[in-house]
Formats: sequence, structure tokens, C-alpha cells
Amino acid sequence: MATITFKNVVKSYDGVNNVIPGLDLEIKDREFIILVGPSGCGKSTILRMIAGLEEVTSGDLFIADKRVNDVAPKDRDIAMVFQSYALYPHMTVYKNMAFGLSLRKMPKEDIDRKVTQVAKILDIEKYLKRKPKALSGGQRQRVALGRAMVREPSVFLLDEPLSNLDAKLRTEMRSQITQLHNDLQATFIYVTHDQTEAMTMADRIVVLKDGIVNQIDTPQNLYNHPCNMFVAGFIGSPQMNFINAKIIAADGKLYASFSDYKIPLLERMCDPLKEYIDKDVVIGIRPENFHSEKFYFKEDESNKIELFTNIVEMMGSELNLYGEIDGNKIVAKVPSNPNIKLNSNVSLAINTEKIHIFDKDTQNVICD
Amino acid sequence: MQKNIRKYFPVFALPTLIAFVVAFLYPFAMGIYLSFTKFTTVENAKFVGFDNYIQAFSDKDFLNALWFTTKFTVVSVLTINIFAFFLAMLLTKAIKGTNLFRSIFFMPNLIGGIVLGYIWNLLINGVLNKYGVDITFAAKYGFWGLVILMNWQMIGYMMIIYIAGLQNIPTDLNEAASIDGANNFQILRHITIPMVMPSITICMFLTITNSFKLFDQNLALTKGAPGKQTAMVALDIYNNFYGRIGWQGIGQAKAVVFFIIVAVIAFVQLWGTRRKEVEH
Repeated sequence: MATITFKNVVKSYDGVNNVIPGLDLEIKDREFIILVGPSGCGKSTILRMIAGLEEVTSGDLFIADKRVNDVAPKDRDIAMVFQSYALYPHMTVYKNMAFGLSLRKMPKEDIDRKVTQVAKILDIEKYLKRKPKALSGGQRQRVALGRAMVREPSVFLLDEPLSNLDAKLRTEMRSQITQLHNDLQATFIYVTHDQTEAMTMADRIVVLKDGIVNQIDTPQNLYNHPCNMFVAGFIGSPQMNFINAKIIAADGKLYASFSDYKIPLLERMCDPLKEYIDKDVVIGIRPENFHSEKFYFKEDESNKIELFTNIVEMMGSELNLYGEIDGNKIVAKVPSNPNIKLNSNVSLAINTEKIHIFDKDTQNVICD
Repeated sequence: MQKNIRKYFPVFALPTLIAFVVAFLYPFAMGIYLSFTKFTTVENAKFVGFDNYIQAFSDKDFLNALWFTTKFTVVSVLTINIFAFFLAMLLTKAIKGTNLFRSIFFMPNLIGGIVLGYIWNLLINGVLNKYGVDITFAAKYGFWGLVILMNWQMIGYMMIIYIAGLQNIPTDLNEAASIDGANNFQILRHITIPMVMPSITICMFLTITNSFKLFDQNLALTKGAPGKQTAMVALDIYNNFYGRIGWQGIGQAKAVVFFIIVAVIAFVQLWGTRRKEVEH
């Protein structure tokens, strides 16, 4: 059982500013958890605390129910894959992988068997005699993974392991790592700032900002029910559109009013929005929830807006339309259509089922 | 552009080439020639074949100097490099005042050898006088005096080179090793030392050649006393050349032998340590 528990963990480098102000987090056994957030949000610090490379300033850190605050990295039953791979340049691939095992005084035959077995899984058998400098980025990446795998740890820590690879290889390695997680049945903790990696690989995602956990949830829930504007903006590409609006009540219904538009809101939103009538809020609409096809327009055209296209990005099967409404920058993702032109007005229907409403002051979600 | 520059290559290379030939190659060749002659000035040199070499190797003082120099080199190369390496390790840790300490340790290297020799002569004699002896009382005092002096002078310099090497090791290599299960000693042995091999190559080369060629410190500290027991090879050659009439040719032969020994050892060391260097 390799559950990892943070109990009010604080990390400070200078004793004054807390990089991690107080973290409570429980990572389940065999879970694939991904820490995401912008640069400097503390995600790597959390990973390094689990590894034992950074001291915990206060609070308790448990791995498999054992308090590990003062336990050396080698005694934590963990393995780590670094962003730079951290392969030993003076050792061959074989020695890189065998190093940890030989330090543990494992018999040579066993080391040989394990290294060969892992090399076979990762398809790096033919490089075993090479030094790291003679390998490509992707091969080095696999060696770094192999070095972690031969030790058969109960926790794998991966610190932005794909960020030095090109886009194609990254996609390939993503599925390989997911497959490895399924095969190895170990706990994976993965740090990235790439939300595509987070969305495609994780069982649960931890979204961090300034050392504070904003939301922990499944990729699906994070996308569909973000808890605040930061999470809503961070997850999804292009990011969610935020429009300043006012909630108004008329004919027993609620509307989000902005510019010249009055977008009807769903009935289920009435209750949570009661206190916000005639108040300013921020409405969030994902780019794919704008539609250009006729089918999506209501009969009374109440969900229709006009967008003047500043930029039209051709993405293949889709178009990204960029424009502005009332000073709010808008991106709409619509199916490719030759009639949509640059510098022209495009009629778009808002999918009112998918509107998120945020409190303007706290930036927390009111309803979605 | 490239072609044009290439056309003028001889013009650019010529001044250096002339300087090299006049100031190094010609005197060097002349030195080798003179080692086969009996001479007092270059104009009255008379060819004597291998006589000078035979006399050189039958000279007890020279053989003693060679042995003394070898012992001195082995001890000082080891001590200088070990101390310099550990000082560098210490001063690359996040402790306060590292820059100040680095400057202080480097300073002795800025003082000339003769001055250093006299300073240490006073210091060592100051201590030994309490026991009723001085540095020239026995060869062992001179030997260890020279070792201390050389260490004091060279450690700071070598330390700077080791610091540069240590700072070049990516920190995540040490971190990866500690996660792999290595303790501090194992990290030193399996990661740090192999990674600083380029610095080790340079430091070994500099300390070996400088220890072998040591002259002014030897002259100022012991002058070879007692007897000629603490005379190193360079001092012995100097004594032959300027202290014994008619021994110039023999001194010259000794200098050639000395050059060959230093060159061979330095090349063997370079070949040996370079093989262990790694490219990142």
C-alpha cells in the first residue's frame, strides 16, 4: 500500500515566505495523480518533498502510513524521473539502470535479468552498451524510466518527464507511460504544466496556484465543473471565455445580460443565483460551446450573439474564431466552414446548458 | 570569405612561428646539441658523444636529486590534490563566506617562490629551533618543509580548478544517485569523481610538472642542505651549470634527461586521466 498523505505540510526556503502554505492531500494507492499549475506554483516542490530532496518545514508527510519527514530518499521506496533525465553520463545505459540495484548489493545475475527484462519492455535493449550522449531525447527518456522501473518502487515520481521531447514523441510517450502505470500497478505522481498531459493521463488532477490546491478531481469533472475561474481558465485549450455580465430577472426567469444580449439561464441556476440578481458576475463559456450551425439557435434567437472575427485560425476540421464582445476577448471553436471569413460578423449560438457562472469578487463558481 | 582568410594563413601565422622558432625551437635544439659537447660558451663546444650522459648517471648527487624529486612529487601531488579537492567540496556547499575563503586560499599563489621559501624558512626554523635543530639539520626536515610549502602555495590554485569542475556537475545527478540509494561516499566515488575528471586531469598535470620542476622554493628554503641531500633535479642542474667549472655539458645532459622524464610522465598522466573523462 503506497498511499501518500500530506497533513498541513508547509514548505518555506527562507523561513519568511511559505512556498507551500499548508497542504492537505491524500494520494491513493496505485493512483495516477498529476500536479498541474503555472510555473512557480510549487508542484515540483511537492514532488521533491515526497522524494526527500526537500525538507518539510512543518507538518507531516506519510508514505504508506509511515511518517517520512526525516527518512532519507533511498529508504522511501520511491523512484524519480527527472525533467533533464539525470542519466549518469559516464556510465553505459546498462550501468545507469543497474546502479541502484548494485548499490543494494543485489546479485549480478538478478541485476542482469531485471535490466534485460525492463530494457525489453521499453525497447532499449540494443542501446544497453551505449553512453547517454549517444542516445536521442526519446531514448534517454526511456532509459530514465527504465532506471526507475528496475527498482520496482511502490511510488514513481515524474517531474515534467516529457517537456524536452518534440510534440510527436510526447504524444507517443504519453500513451506508453499510461500503459506502464496500468502494468506496474504502482502509485504515479506526475508533475507537468501541460494540461493535455494532465487530462489524458491522470486518474485525478491536482490544480495548484501559489502553493495552494485549488481543486482535486478527475479530468472530466475538472473540465466540466471547475471550482473557480483559475481552474476554469487553466484547464482547456483554447482557454474558457470569461464575459462580464449582469444577472437580471424577467418573466420569472433569469438572464445573463452583457452588451446588447440577454442570454436565458437554465432553471436549475435560479436558486443559486437568487442573491446575484442585478449584480455583476462573470460567465464562463468554453470555446466549443459556441456554435455556428443553425441547429443550435433557439427559435427566438435568444442565445444568439454576433462576433466580429479579428483572427481566424484554421485547425483542420475546426476553426478558432477570435473576436471581442464588450471588451471581453472571445474565442469560439466551430466546425470548419468556408463561409466564415476574417473581419466579418459571424452569428454564434451559445450552448446555455454549458454556461458557468462565477462570483466576480471571489472568482469562485456559483453554478454551472 | 573563408577562402580569402585561408589564403593569408601563412602571413598571420608567420610572426608566431618565427617567435616559436627563435625563442623555443632553436634554443631547445641547441640545448640537445650542447648536451653532447664539452663547452663553456656555445662557441667553444667540442663534441664528446655520450660522455656527458655517462657522467651524469654516475653522479651520485644527480641520482639522489632524481630520487628526492620523485619522492617529493609523489607526496605533494597526492596531498595537494586531496586537500584542494576537499576544500573545493567544502567551499561549494551553501555556507556563508565561501567567496572570502576562496580568495584567502588562493592568495599564496600570488606570492613568488623565492619569497615563499624565505618566509617558510623563518617559520619552520622558528618551530624547529625550539627542539634545538633547524631545517638543514636532516634531509627529512627539508623534505617535509618543501611539501608544506608547495601545498600552501598550490592548494588554493588547484582548489579553484576543482570548484569550477564541481560547479559543473548538474545537481540532479547527485539527487538521482541519492534516490538510487547512494550514500555520500558512494556519490563521491561513483558520481562526483568521474564527473570532475577534466579538473583532475588539469590539476594532476599542473602539480606533477610544477613539483618536478620546483627550483626557487628549493633554493630559498634549503639550498639543498644538508650536503646536497635536499637538492632537487632543477637545483642540481643549476649547481652544475653555475657552480662547477667544466660541468656545463653534464648539466646540459641532465637537463635533457630531466625534460624527457617530465614529458613522459606528464604524457602518461594526461593519457591516463583523459581516458576517464566524459562528455556530457
